[in-house]
Amino acid sequence: MLEIRSDVVIVGAGPSGAVAALELARAGMSVTVLEQGDWVAAEEFDGARPEWELTQLSKWHPNPNVRGRPEDYPIDATDSEVNPLMFAGVGGAALIYGAHWVRFMPSDFRVRTLDGVADDWPFTYEDLAPFYEYVEESMAVSGLSGNPAYPDGAPCPLPPLPIGKVGRKAAEGMNRLGWHWWPGSNAIPSRAYRGLQPCVLRGTCGTGCSDGAKATPDRTHWPEAQKLGVRLVTGARVSEVETDAQGRACGAVWIDRNGIRHRAQGDVVILCANGIGTPRLLLMSGLAGRSGMVGRRLMMHPYAGVMGTFDEDLESWVGPAGQILVSMQFYETDTTRGFVRGAKWNCMPAGGPQSFRAGYTGGTLTEGWGPALHDSVRRKFGRSFEWGIIGEDLPVAENRLTLSENLTDSDGLPAPEIHYRMSGNTHRMLAFHTARAVEAMEAAGAIATEVTPLIRDCGWHLMGTAVMGDDPETSVVDQFGHVHDVPNLYVMDGSTFPTSSGMNPTATIMAVAARSVLDLIESRGDIAPSR
Amino acid sequence: MPLTPEERTRLEALAGIMLPGGAGMSGASDVNLAQDPVDRVLHIEPALTARLSRFLSQVRVVRTMPDVETLAQQDPQGFKALGTVLANAYFMHEEIRRQIGYPGQEARDSSGGLTGQDLALLRPVQERGPIHR
Repeated sequence: MLEIRSDVVIVGAGPSGAVAALELARAGMSVTVLEQGDWVAAEEFDGARPEWELTQLSKWHPNPNVRGRPEDYPIDATDSEVNPLMFAGVGGAALIYGAHWVRFMPSDFRVRTLDGVADDWPFTYEDLAPFYEYVEESMAVSGLSGNPAYPDGAPCPLPPLPIGKVGRKAAEGMNRLGWHWWPGSNAIPSRAYRGLQPCVLRGTCGTGCSDGAKATPDRTHWPEAQKLGVRLVTGARVSEVETDAQGRACGAVWIDRNGIRHRAQGDVVILCANGIGTPRLLLMSGLAGRSGMVGRRLMMHPYAGVMGTFDEDLESWVGPAGQILVSMQFYETDTTRGFVRGAKWNCMPAGGPQSFRAGYTGGTLTEGWGPALHDSVRRKFGRSFEWGIIGEDLPVAENRLTLSENLTDSDGLPAPEIHYRMSGNTHRMLAFHTARAVEAMEAAGAIATEVTPLIRDCGWHLMGTAVMGDDPETSVVDQFGHVHDVPNLYVMDGSTFPTSSGMNPTATIMAVAARSVLDLIESRGDIAPSR
Repeated sequence: MPLTPEERTRLEALAGIMLPGGAGMSGASDVNLAQDPVDRVLHIEPALTARLSRFLSQVRVVRTMPDVETLAQQDPQGFKALGTVLANAYFMHEEIRRQIGYPGQEARDSSGGLTGQDLALLRPVQERGPIHR
């Protein structure tokens, strides 16, 4: 059994854990990071190989239940309309994210004040803006500054990627309707940047970047963090956060791949294990239970899509994928629509030929085969693109994670059990938005459209399960991620989000983590730098 | 473990129905899909072999799509494996890719950024001004 001692112990080496570890190391503190996954080298990804579409169904699938790697824990999602998605590895789920990089909009932080629903955040867009800017520098964000959806135009450090034939086609439709669109901002450099290669538009971002271009924490943060002495332990599944006799967090127990338990001790423990892993660990540790909110308010962003097919070659397998365009036309509340809040749209390429082979209409199992397959591929392949719709998922206490009594991981630890239903507000929101996206496609000249009202494997964005707030009776952590009940214990991932926005959350997860960890460094005089 | 000759014969029959060719695309038999192309897929994803073999073991006489549908209804998971193997073998085949004009997920230069045409398209969006609250 190993016994490691450091100033700070962090659980999880994804985007938030990387931000926290690097800032603490820069401040001279000793840091141990426990990551249940491994390093993944760029050459392991299959994007440049013909089998790209084959292996995305297995080893690069975002659903751990499908992927079933040794480092994955199973998730019981039988009582959920949406499957949670994630990836265990150095860099976390960012390894297989689309790198859509969008800030939350100012109204996202004030939904109670503006719309009378859910809760305001304890801070504003303006408070967070400097931290967005800070992490965007490190994440090589390419995009066009001046987006009128943001008061400051959401500046980007690198120029935008090409929007290509697909982007122009989509933009023409939006212009005919007078609707907002903007070139997509992505954490993918449009030119060589701080050790990252320039994007080659391969369009396989969602199954890992084989070209070393996409900004992921294993490339943007961990090299410097390790140079500064951060100890990163891979294959380390944390089973418990430990507390001392005074109830202060003092370390974590982890299990290696051989089933042997080890201990990492620290003056501070920070959880960055995502919106499922973090509450699971809190529940397994019996911590932070005063408010009863650990695991509750789970938000996963139900995702709908509208595919348009055109009578011309759009080369719609070309990246980035990545978002080519975004639209916030219907993002803000208009109560005449029958719901509150809204959704962000992202225009994306349609991918390879297999996107068009399957029949999803609920008919026979063989309907997508035979002459229908050849016709479908000929009509649609290269000639289609998608408006994807990320609807704001308002927090509901009953949407929650519990510990399974029947399912365990390979170490015998209880698996998370997900209980999740879409609200009536969300149903109405997605129906409205898909109808508008059909109009956008038709305005662009689509000869056919297909609506997917909800994609079950869409739970990329895991938020809300250790909510932040000022009141310890109704929230788990304060605005800087400090657990109300447990001195020295912090949460710095998306679990703390009071609301989900309708945006991809990585930008905000990293910005909030930066804000939290810099406050920790500034305010915790009792963590003496060890170097 | 490679497919047995009997399994391969059954797979050929299924592939001929499910991928008959058309719309300028070759049929499965034209590219010997049930031979090397299928082996290539099973080499990359050996876990598919057992489910495929199980499905093929139920196959007797299949002549039409309704015959395939009957088998699929009896073993949906096995049919899913069959579909995965056939589709990937088919669309990984160089000849099929050539026929549909698909070079694969190729690398391209991204340094061009936005064109003048793109910026002209953007002008009305800019002129309409802020849309945030």
